[in-house]
Amino acid sequence: MKLDNIEIENFRQYGGIQRATFSTHSQKNITVFNGNNGCGKTSLFIAINWCLYGEGAENIGELINKEAARKTPAGQEVCARVKLSFRHGGERFISSRELAGIKREDGSVETRTKPSFTLMRIQADGQAIEIKNPIGMMNTILPSNVRTFFLFDGEKIDNFARPDSRDEVRYAIYNVLKLEILERAKNHLSQVAAEHRKELKQASSGELLELLETEDRKRKEKENAINKIQELERERDSAKRKIVDIEKRLRELQSARNLQLQRDGIQEQLERTENDLRNAVKEIREITIRYHSIIASDAIEKARAILDKKRERGEIPSGIRQQFVRDLLEQGKCICGRPIKEGDPSHTHLQGILKRSVSGALEDKVLNTNVTLNILETQNAGIYNQLESAMKRRVQFTDRIRDLQSELDDVTRQLQGSPIEEIAELEGKRKTFEMDIERHHLEIGKCRGIIEDRDREIAELTKQIEQAQKRKSKNELLTRKISLAQQSADAVDKIYQELGEDVRQSIEAKTQEIFKKLVWKESHFKNISLGPDYQLEVIDRYGLPARPELSAGERQVLSLSFITAMVRVSEEEAPIVMDTPFGRLSSEHRASITENLPGLTPQLVLFVTDEELHDEARKNLEKRIGKEYRLIFDPKISSTTIEEAT
Amino acid sequence: MLGSAMQEKVLALFKDYDPSVKAVIAEVLALEQEHLSMKNPRGVVEKIEEIVERIAKNETR
Repeated sequence: MKLDNIEIENFRQYGGIQRATFSTHSQKNITVFNGNNGCGKTSLFIAINWCLYGEGAENIGELINKEAARKTPAGQEVCARVKLSFRHGGERFISSRELAGIKREDGSVETRTKPSFTLMRIQADGQAIEIKNPIGMMNTILPSNVRTFFLFDGEKIDNFARPDSRDEVRYAIYNVLKLEILERAKNHLSQVAAEHRKELKQASSGELLELLETEDRKRKEKENAINKIQELERERDSAKRKIVDIEKRLRELQSARNLQLQRDGIQEQLERTENDLRNAVKEIREITIRYHSIIASDAIEKARAILDKKRERGEIPSGIRQQFVRDLLEQGKCICGRPIKEGDPSHTHLQGILKRSVSGALEDKVLNTNVTLNILETQNAGIYNQLESAMKRRVQFTDRIRDLQSELDDVTRQLQGSPIEEIAELEGKRKTFEMDIERHHLEIGKCRGIIEDRDREIAELTKQIEQAQKRKSKNELLTRKISLAQQSADAVDKIYQELGEDVRQSIEAKTQEIFKKLVWKESHFKNISLGPDYQLEVIDRYGLPARPELSAGERQVLSLSFITAMVRVSEEEAPIVMDTPFGRLSSEHRASITENLPGLTPQLVLFVTDEELHDEARKNLEKRIGKEYRLIFDPKISSTTIEEAT
Repeated sequence: MLGSAMQEKVLALFKDYDPSVKAVIAEVLALEQEHLSMKNPRGVVEKIEEIVERIAKNETR
């Protein structure tokens, strides 16, 4: 969506008809509305929200301009109207919302109906066609549940940077990135499958009923295990965060600092070594899978010895084919041309070979086995060295991990035995949290095992159910419907998980990139993380979580970075409309945001005061401002007019 | 609508599924998109049942 122009009539403090055009230029993509406090910036911002979504105006009775109402004779109609023209997907639309009321004798206005909303599509020949389902259409253009991520009050967007903001962050990502569509599709398809299963159960009996009940039970058990994992992961993440806090405190305490730093170093080494171990194990696995013959080297040697022995004893051919000997005897001539006559020693010798030789088929098999054994032996020689080296490394890494863990235990012992009560107590708690995490990991693993088992059992049961159903030749369609709905639900769920993870990683990377551009202390902040639990975190140069220490301005910048990252990743074609964007920001942040933000969105609309936009911020924006307006308030008639700045 | 890169990702993830499953998913996603603004849209489950039934019937013909 790109905004074209707005027309406001008798809306709040805007008396008469006021018009403004938004800049749609790709380079000069900023439209600025400049006004002092109380001049109508927020009213204009509300007008856009109200016109598109009917939202943003808390008190509908106050929408009609008071001066217009005063001038209207009693008993006559007066109305507030906002018309917004915009383009989307190559088409032009005009959205219009109107609230009408009748002036009473006492001077008040009685609004008789709900505001009316129309959405017109403008065709290439200029003709306007009314859209029958305007709300539905608006939702395909820019859904109302994501509008707050595009049209927002700059001073109130720091909620993504607050502690425990994960629900808001998750909600935003799922809505802006439309992952909610997948979530809903999965739930509704599962519901359809469950309803059909119930229907089939009622229509079935005996074996099929039992199978269906078992399948139902297995699905419930799987669901319970999934829920249990989510609960355990939440508890585990909470314990992890508490350990981070304790370690931070230990670093601050003089008497514990060195031991904690020592632990940091050991943990870093441990992490590296565990990674090395994983790589070595992976290499061994790859070698043994790719060159599986290596694990059969002893068997190959034994097979070779058996063949050699049998060949020595003449039990199997030594490479001379039976047919070849028979041909020589029949032709009565050797390959060198010498005659072979019956009774000659050469004839007797060939007869002997023929007697000892075996059938053609076995002969072929023996020869093929010989060739295969040769290939395997040659191949194994090179691979064996590679495998031996990887095995040696695995032993080294395992030993090193054991040593490092023992060093970590030693640090823990020293801290637990500290004469300073706080340190001993902190370390005790840390140990408890660590044990909790271990317990949670075990429990999670157990649950995952249950899920795998249930998946296998369900797959088997699904087959059995389909077979039982086919045997009865009844309810075939119902069975297929269940299968189709469930398969579709499972497919959507799988994709939902994969896409969710993909999107989370993309937003994390993009937020970091934008935050580094926008924040003025970029070297102080090392990283932005958006964990699987959707916790948005800032990591400082010491590798520690810094979100609790962010200033109000930095929180605003973090939220803005996150919103912009979502918009970029979602490729949503929509403007960013910001009311009081820089009010709370220091001059450094104003400068960096005005320098970078215009390049991150296709269209930017700002409602600002003179104070918000001066010096470097104004200089930065100047080159990208396509349209600028001043909001002039006339106290004599309590109304605002919009004037284009020259 | 999903962005083009997102659409590509979704299509790539669906490419190995059975054609009937793909057909059900495509129609259901379009339906969910239409009703996204409503918290508890009425009649969506019934429409999904119709989609599943139609595609299942086509399969068994």
